[in-house]
Amino acid sequence: MTDTTPAVSLHGVTKRFGEEVVAVDDVDLEIQDGEFFSLLGPSGCGKTTTLRMIAGLEFPTKGSVRIHGEEMGLRPPNKRPVNTVFQSYALFPHMNVAGNVGFGLRMQNVNDSEVRRRVGEAIDLVRLTGLEKRSPKALSGGQQQRVALARALVNSPKVLLLDEPLGALDLKLRQTMQLELKDIQNEIGITFVYVTHDQGEALTMSDRIAVMNEGRLAQVGSAEQVYESPQNLFVAGFVGQMCHLDAVVVESGSVRLNGGELLRARTSAPNSTAVTLTVRPEKLHLYSSAAEAPPDRNAIKGSVVRRTFYGEAVEYEVQIGVSGSVEVRVENVPSMHRWEIGDQVIVDFHPEAAMALTE
Amino acid sequence: MTLPDQHEQVEQEAVNPRLERKARKQESWRGFFHAAPAYVYLTFFFTLPLIMVYVFSFASRGPTGKPRLEDWNFDSWSKLTEPLFREIALRSLWMAILNTALCLLIGYPFAYWIATRASQKTRTLLLVGVLIPFWSNFLIRTYAWRMLLDSDGLITQLGEWTGFWGQLLFTPTAVFIGLLYGYLPFVVLPLYAAIERLDWTLVEAGRDLYASGSAAFRKITLPLSKPGIVAGSILVFIPSLGAYVTPDILGGAKTTLLGNYIVTQFTAARNWPFGSAMSGAILILMLAATILYFRTDTRTI
Repeated sequence: MTDTTPAVSLHGVTKRFGEEVVAVDDVDLEIQDGEFFSLLGPSGCGKTTTLRMIAGLEFPTKGSVRIHGEEMGLRPPNKRPVNTVFQSYALFPHMNVAGNVGFGLRMQNVNDSEVRRRVGEAIDLVRLTGLEKRSPKALSGGQQQRVALARALVNSPKVLLLDEPLGALDLKLRQTMQLELKDIQNEIGITFVYVTHDQGEALTMSDRIAVMNEGRLAQVGSAEQVYESPQNLFVAGFVGQMCHLDAVVVESGSVRLNGGELLRARTSAPNSTAVTLTVRPEKLHLYSSAAEAPPDRNAIKGSVVRRTFYGEAVEYEVQIGVSGSVEVRVENVPSMHRWEIGDQVIVDFHPEAAMALTE
Repeated sequence: MTLPDQHEQVEQEAVNPRLERKARKQESWRGFFHAAPAYVYLTFFFTLPLIMVYVFSFASRGPTGKPRLEDWNFDSWSKLTEPLFREIALRSLWMAILNTALCLLIGYPFAYWIATRASQKTRTLLLVGVLIPFWSNFLIRTYAWRMLLDSDGLITQLGEWTGFWGQLLFTPTAVFIGLLYGYLPFVVLPLYAAIERLDWTLVEAGRDLYASGSAAFRKITLPLSKPGIVAGSILVFIPSLGAYVTPDILGGAKTTLLGNYIVTQFTAARNWPFGSAMSGAILILMLAATILYFRTDTRTI
């Protein structure tokens, strides 16, 4: 019974601010116990509001939030079995590191020796041993981040909510912290709900991702599902790079580009729907002539309109008739062929890599 | 590679301190010129009179009340230990402390309420409301209270009608009402400033970490608004202790406070040395108390 109860479940959750703004619009979501779950989307997509509704810092206008099967209703944040790592860390400036980390335990009237023991453990877990007496102001960004993490984890919440916790860190530190967060999650095995606008971060860390757009769920799935099989143009464009070509569905599994060529692709839209054919740039290959291209794949004629040298790769922009243009990256290996602007080329890709998507 | 580096370092150390010192000197001279009018003003109208107060406190009172500096003594200072002065001083202190406490108690929720209004326009409007009393003279406003508290005044009539109180004018309560009325805005403004710039995510973090609404207020909001509490209480406590107009107009003979007592020494009693000694002593005590208060209470913020 407990195995199948989701750690967090949202049913028909809607949040309005005033009359006009719908921050979250009818969201249904089940987050499994022990999962690293990311809410991914551009700013203003409702991901933070969703997280705040789980934390109890905001209450849904409509719908229900359950944590481990228990209806949360209007239960205040201090009565929910979740803890939050805030975006700006929100460390208490009038307490030292140990004071910050122990705050939640003291509020739960845990006795002093127990507080000391667990605070020590949490500080060790995030590798801040020796900094207990420091003021948060005297810590670096990465250290503050760890304090915020320890302060939440020390309470052994059933679900840990993280609101863009790495947003304020520089790239290098962010990558280190990503791995560290993932390790900590594996070690303690609790559910993480992670809000981020960084698709790379979501892909590398998450078991599952919910991509959000304008308050709605655009797609929920594993990192691979979201990347390899986006369900709509928004997900395709937001997660990773994508090339777009205008086309029309001819029949199931087959589309015709605007301006001619018939191609095989994964389709779900009904016949004669206008669609956008999308392919990941790393799945495109360039050839000088159709004869060089492998058989049984999609091959489209085009002409080079721009060439950009990146060092490790060269990127060609290839114009495909009236249906659009694609960017193809060619790795800078010794055998690399060089095309010039105006050259006629063949763009080749596997039918499985092409998806006909609608909005 | 190391040689040029060292050379550069030596050169930097040799050149920069001299230049820096010169720049700093120029900077400080510029600063002095800007502040010169204020220095002159303060020297003539603040420092010199203050020195005069202390000098006169050692003078002796001549037969006509004319202070005589020729035979100076400590009589006025030793007079400070007399029971009459002690009684007045303690009453003033009690009034000032109680007034400060009540101002904070009433002012804090009000400042909190203003600071947490969503729209900036509402907040500005409410703050202007706090400042409106300053548009008319304090003396006039105190006389207005006199009318309200007098035997046929509105408040007295209300008290008699409900049976809770009679005429309040010329009682300590009247002085107290006047002080509270007069100094409440001074505590609201700094409290508002402190609460308004509070980072509310900290309160949310507290709630998230199992603090109830009231616990979050006690452990987070209150300690973080301490600068406003300190500033507000100093702004109220000091003038309350030296209040003159309010006890003079609203209090009777029984509610003489330090301010009135000192004024009496300079006027009716014609005892300038004693008045000076009292002023000087209060000033020293107040300065010590303020320094102590700032030291102990604001360091953690």
